[in-house]
Amino acid sequence: MRRRVLRMLILFAIVSYFWPSEARAYLDPGTGSYVLQLVLAALLGVAFATKMFWLRIKTFLAGLLSKKPKEK
Amino acid sequence: MAEGRVTSSFRDPSGYLFTHQGKIYRQINNVYRKDYDHLIESGLYDTLVQKKLLVPHSAATNQLAPSHAYKVIEPERIPFVSYPYEWCFGQLKDAALLTLEIQEIALQHGMILKDSSAYNVQFLRGRPVVIDTLSFARYREGEPWVAYRQFCQHFLGPLAIMSYRDVRLSQLFRVHIDGIPLSLASALLPQRSRLNIGLLTHLHIHARAQNRYAGKSVQRHGSRKMSRRSLRGLIDNLAGTVGKLRWRLPKSEWGDYYHDTNYAATAMRHKQQIVSTYLDAIRPQMVWDLGANTGVFSRIAASKGALTMSFDIDPVAVEQNYNRCKREGDAGVLPLVIDLTNPSPALGWGNQERMSLPQRGPVDTVLALALLHHLAISNNVPLGLIARFLGSICRSLIVEFVPKTDSQVQRLLATREDIFTEYDRGHFEAAFAECFIVEDSVPIEESDRIVYRMTKRA
Repeated sequence: MRRRVLRMLILFAIVSYFWPSEARAYLDPGTGSYVLQLVLAALLGVAFATKMFWLRIKTFLAGLLSKKPKEK
Repeated sequence: MAEGRVTSSFRDPSGYLFTHQGKIYRQINNVYRKDYDHLIESGLYDTLVQKKLLVPHSAATNQLAPSHAYKVIEPERIPFVSYPYEWCFGQLKDAALLTLEIQEIALQHGMILKDSSAYNVQFLRGRPVVIDTLSFARYREGEPWVAYRQFCQHFLGPLAIMSYRDVRLSQLFRVHIDGIPLSLASALLPQRSRLNIGLLTHLHIHARAQNRYAGKSVQRHGSRKMSRRSLRGLIDNLAGTVGKLRWRLPKSEWGDYYHDTNYAATAMRHKQQIVSTYLDAIRPQMVWDLGANTGVFSRIAASKGALTMSFDIDPVAVEQNYNRCKREGDAGVLPLVIDLTNPSPALGWGNQERMSLPQRGPVDTVLALALLHHLAISNNVPLGLIARFLGSICRSLIVEFVPKTDSQVQRLLATREDIFTEYDRGHFEAAFAECFIVEDSVPIEESDRIVYRMTKRA
């Protein structure tokens, strides 16, 4: 999943390369920030959910392993 | 302190700071009523204060308010206000992580940070805290983080250029009062920073998106929503990106100063004793240690209960000092990057938003140890001007005179013509006598140096 997110980000980077960069967005930097945030957050939301999922599994497994010595 | 509205407090319609009879208060306007009530009733305020992340306040009477107010609060006073252009890398990074931690906790209580200005963070008892109680807004499901751009400009961009390019670029904060523009941060960063996914997206692509959409209108309300999970993902990613930014301390001119001087151990010990005795005689509440290096003498002042600002021009020395403060839990010392030959000016709207260094004084006591020869010889500042400047920022002074015979001065003179005919003890005492009364002086053992205790003339 993380690889997919990475691939999408790289694709986004390539696309962004062709955007004009000469202008300086002093007058209205807010719109670009808004649009980027929506795109980025959608991707990062998926990555975050995956991270949390793995964290929960890890905690669960760690809990199982730490209980073992007590049972003995 | 001037009475009335604080000149830096005007951007947010939710309320503002004002002073009354030497105390500082915050008026909360009716427009912020629901948000303030939510902050208190949701338990967010208590949680943040308990974790020492937000400045605590007490209730005050509304009658103090200059205009019609929902409430008036009295926040705990910040003894010394510092600014991002005076912080070392570690301080700015800690302030960034604090902001994100607060944002995460706020979200759990149904609120978001509507501002993520670095100026909302101050150092209190050795730790960064957010001082703007009105920075919180009720979270509406689906809304993006309104302070995202500001966070990138105030924290991520500056930290990235300090980490990847040069730590001295923090001084760009002085020019760009609302944080470093992302197009500038992106241009300053080396190509290899694009390999860092966080910097690639939040800075480089972000800067391009700003240019791409400049002047274009976008439908902000409607189908474009941002889920809570996405928002948490964004915050988590920013925290990860900031957390991984490092600044490897280079060897500096000053970092090894104490290991590389002509000081005999006896002389150093004796100087510490003299300073200690003088501080006992003055008993200051606050000390500014000018040219503090890594804060050896600042710690002597702090050990006597004086809150000590430990200024140095060298970001390496300040970083080492700050790291030591954190390691040892030293709440009495605040290290800051200050260039005394060009101290922080008054900045911002009407030059009244950010105070100059002298405006934050006068302080009870200034320590100026092993400093004068750098100002007088390296920077050609006449002794009379040094005395006048010091006289404008303190009530008492502990100052060390280092004569030309000293090897440190000889080192400074080795590469320049000695045009400093008036740099001697007699001229020093005469110049300082115009602004100060000499209370005492002691020659340092095994050296040609002398330490003076002076009081400012009325």
